[in-house]
Amino acid sequence: MARFYLLATVLCFIRRGSSKQADCFPSEWLKSVSVSVKISKAGFHRDLQYRVQWSSTDHDVQALLVQKLPSGVYMDAYQLETLRRDTGLEVLLDSEVDLEAPEYLSSGFTALVFLSGTHEAVVPVHGRYHRPSDSSKPVKVDIEPPRVLLRSDQCETLQTRALGRTLGPGVRGVVVEAPCTVSNHSICSWMQILDLQGDAGVSLELPVGDSSLVLTVCAGTVLTAVLSCVYLLRKIWKHGSF
Amino acid sequence: MSWVHCGKLLFVGCDLLSALLLFRLLVLRGSTRSSARVLCGLWLFNPLTVAVSTRGSAESLLAALVLSSLLCLESRRRLSAALLFGLAVHMKIYPVTYALPIALSLTGAPARGRGLIQNLIRCVSRDLLQFAAVSGSVFFALNLIFYCMYGWDFLQESYLYHLTRRDIRHNFSPYFYMLYVTAEHHWSGALALVCFLPQMLLLLLSSLAFRRDLPFCCFIHTAVFVSFNKVCTSQYFLWYLCLLPLVLPRLTLGLRRGLGLLLLWFVGQALWLSPAYYLEFEGWNTFALIWIAGLLFLLINSLILGQIISHYRPAEAQLKKTD
Repeated sequence: MARFYLLATVLCFIRRGSSKQADCFPSEWLKSVSVSVKISKAGFHRDLQYRVQWSSTDHDVQALLVQKLPSGVYMDAYQLETLRRDTGLEVLLDSEVDLEAPEYLSSGFTALVFLSGTHEAVVPVHGRYHRPSDSSKPVKVDIEPPRVLLRSDQCETLQTRALGRTLGPGVRGVVVEAPCTVSNHSICSWMQILDLQGDAGVSLELPVGDSSLVLTVCAGTVLTAVLSCVYLLRKIWKHGSF
Repeated sequence: MSWVHCGKLLFVGCDLLSALLLFRLLVLRGSTRSSARVLCGLWLFNPLTVAVSTRGSAESLLAALVLSSLLCLESRRRLSAALLFGLAVHMKIYPVTYALPIALSLTGAPARGRGLIQNLIRCVSRDLLQFAAVSGSVFFALNLIFYCMYGWDFLQESYLYHLTRRDIRHNFSPYFYMLYVTAEHHWSGALALVCFLPQMLLLLLSSLAFRRDLPFCCFIHTAVFVSFNKVCTSQYFLWYLCLLPLVLPRLTLGLRRGLGLLLLWFVGQALWLSPAYYLEFEGWNTFALIWIAGLLFLLINSLILGQIISHYRPAEAQLKKTD
């Protein structure tokens, strides 16, 4: 009997919860969501400045930015760990990122930037070394705009939102699965907003070596190494005791 | 204070321990206590030492281990020296280059009048075999313990990683730019061998030439190893800077020339650091400048080392002079 009452109570809550979901992310409100990405600093160490905005609402909104990054850049997991401890920045990387490999030996990866309670995040990103080129032109690395995922703790599940269902004119949403928090203990359902209003993505330029100088560089380096070696060998031979 | 800073405290502690070991070694080699204190101050108050330890690099731990094994060897405590040497090589691989000078210093001197075979057998003395056995056992025992604890990951991170490491980013090494532009050429393997040859020759010859003065030999060894290495960053300088106070008492360079060489060393670093800063933090294409600065730094290092070698007076020479 007790079990029956428990089941009834639970079902009651679920029904109440799902009836609230229709109000969780109303279509009109979704149109107010916008994201902007800027890249700052110069050289090989840059900052990606994210800013997500939405109009005020009565329940909490958690945002997750899914940023796909090309092989030309990397994020330092150790640096992100330190930043998480010191500044509360929450970034989760989807795979192991080699900090030292050049661009042509690396692959792209995805960074998940959690914005719980904040609307802004500054994430450090670093450039990789690219193949040397014939000309002295720098190489351009394009970073596409991030996908924006939304969730609210006050909404139980988003299973009533069907895949691909239009939420309103011009705003299409899709339910995706992603980690609930940066600790990656559990998976939640998030609402991904498609056709989002925002910037077109950022790019950075990185200098590369000059491959037309290969012979000069090799000859110069070997010559200097041989000269230094011979000089030191002579000194050691003269002053050593054999 | 979070547990994260325990590592830095350990390295700072090893810094202080290294200074104490330097003091004991200097006094053992004949310096007065007051001059030994000044020389230890060169290590303790060196901004590079302080910066590297407080930043969290483990170089001072290696310095303490290397200095303690040298101290044990100088005071004839060969068993302790072998233990500490095995531990040092396990911590970082570079002290393995000291194996040759240590082996040469432990072998008996070849006697004239005996045959070649007999001389070779004499070379492999009991002391050397004991040292090799103890340090080898310590090294392998530690490796076995950690392999049992961490499995294949341990071997990969400690040793195999260095074989396949492809870090072509800018650093002090004179070979950096050459390795970067030839990274995907089919003759990059042959070039890597070419880089290895000067290092090998110099290490062999210096081991033979200076085997009678172990701290000086180790200093020359490490300085050559670092200067001619494929990768060189500023924390590597600590590997030979910890041995410099041991070399200084027997150097007849004179203060002005010594300070001039020191200034030249700093100028060499500054000439490299400036284009490197503009490359990394401003995005300017200063690769060619960094390359030339790297070559210049090698020439400067070789000049300084050459001056140290030609102005070093080993203990026997000093004794002979007083006779």
